[in-house]
Amino acid sequence: MKRRELTSQTMDERVAALEAAVEARTRDLKAALDQRTALLHELDHRVKNNLQLISSLMLMQARRTADPSVRAALDGMLERLHAIATVHRRLFQTEDVERFDLSEFVRDLVADLAGSNRHPLLTFQCVLAPAEVPASRAASLALLINELVSNAMRHAFPDGRPGRILIDVRKSGEGLRIEIADDGVGMAGSPGGAQDAAAGFGLTIVDLLGRQLRACIRRETTDIGVRTVIALPPESVGVGR
Amino acid sequence: MTANPPLRVLIVEDEVLLATELEYLVTASGAEPVGHAMTSPEALDLAERLRPDLALVDVHLGDGPTGVEAARGMTDHCGAVVLFITANLKRLPSDLAGACGVMSKPYSEHQVRAALGFIEACMVNGRATCPPPQGLQLSAAYAELWNGPAAA
Repeated sequence: MKRRELTSQTMDERVAALEAAVEARTRDLKAALDQRTALLHELDHRVKNNLQLISSLMLMQARRTADPSVRAALDGMLERLHAIATVHRRLFQTEDVERFDLSEFVRDLVADLAGSNRHPLLTFQCVLAPAEVPASRAASLALLINELVSNAMRHAFPDGRPGRILIDVRKSGEGLRIEIADDGVGMAGSPGGAQDAAAGFGLTIVDLLGRQLRACIRRETTDIGVRTVIALPPESVGVGR
Repeated sequence: MTANPPLRVLIVEDEVLLATELEYLVTASGAEPVGHAMTSPEALDLAERLRPDLALVDVHLGDGPTGVEAARGMTDHCGAVVLFITANLKRLPSDLAGACGVMSKPYSEHQVRAALGFIEACMVNGRATCPPPQGLQLSAAYAELWNGPAAA
């Protein structure tokens, strides 16, 4: 009897010691995790602040310049920067930092472009199905869409004529299909000169990003304007990339 | 119809470039920037002396993550309405320290203009006549104050 009590006491002591060890280890791990989380927040905060700084610098310079073509170039870069900034803001708003909903991004982008009131007679029609893509592809896709939408805004509706831009994002099999169409003056109607050069640069970016994303990009003049259809293969938008 | 006097705005931001840009946007939206503070003591001191209608406050200031307490102080003791403009949403308490709302960095020029216009209209009319613009998140208390309890 006595011997058995002794054993059970030893057991209790051992259990208590183990529990204490587990507790101490958990505390250490939690402290390490907290520190990492704090570091990540700090980094996120610095990235956002730096994006804001770059944007403010460009805005200040754009305002001071009298040359309309310099101003247009700076405005274009500001829009691109803003597209990337929107991606970053969205990525760290959600708990999931691996996946990114492209349609949510388009909603933000359009709200901002439509609200900026550069084109009061322009309307946007968005057909947006949930379209999750890997976070690593988010910036390229965001830039691509931004380029096509702002290109249409800049060139399809000269002299502030009224019009409509359609943005359609949907799944297509395991891949993704993005359509951006306008009912503007078409590619031949562009006034030429510096405007064409700017459009050329925008379309170069579209081509390069398309290559990076292994996308098939079809750009055509339709009866009513210009339509671009981007087909993204599963390997560009699939899980684990 | 008499025009309302311009909204008097205090900017609390430790990055001078961002503060300058905000000052421009405040002016462009018809309001009047009355001062700029880079630390929380400066903010409280300026708010006390200048009695701004609105304070735009970053969470991270020259003396650390002190924007939250500065916001509470300006709201409680100086009668200012505070709007956080920050890249640090995670540091904000759930009641936003009494602030009316928050805009997250990076923001666009248009988002700031729209938010300033919305808040000014709400302060003048005592309520919102439209939903808050994209990029502006109202605190629960101000959503109720400006939209009425039903919409909050």
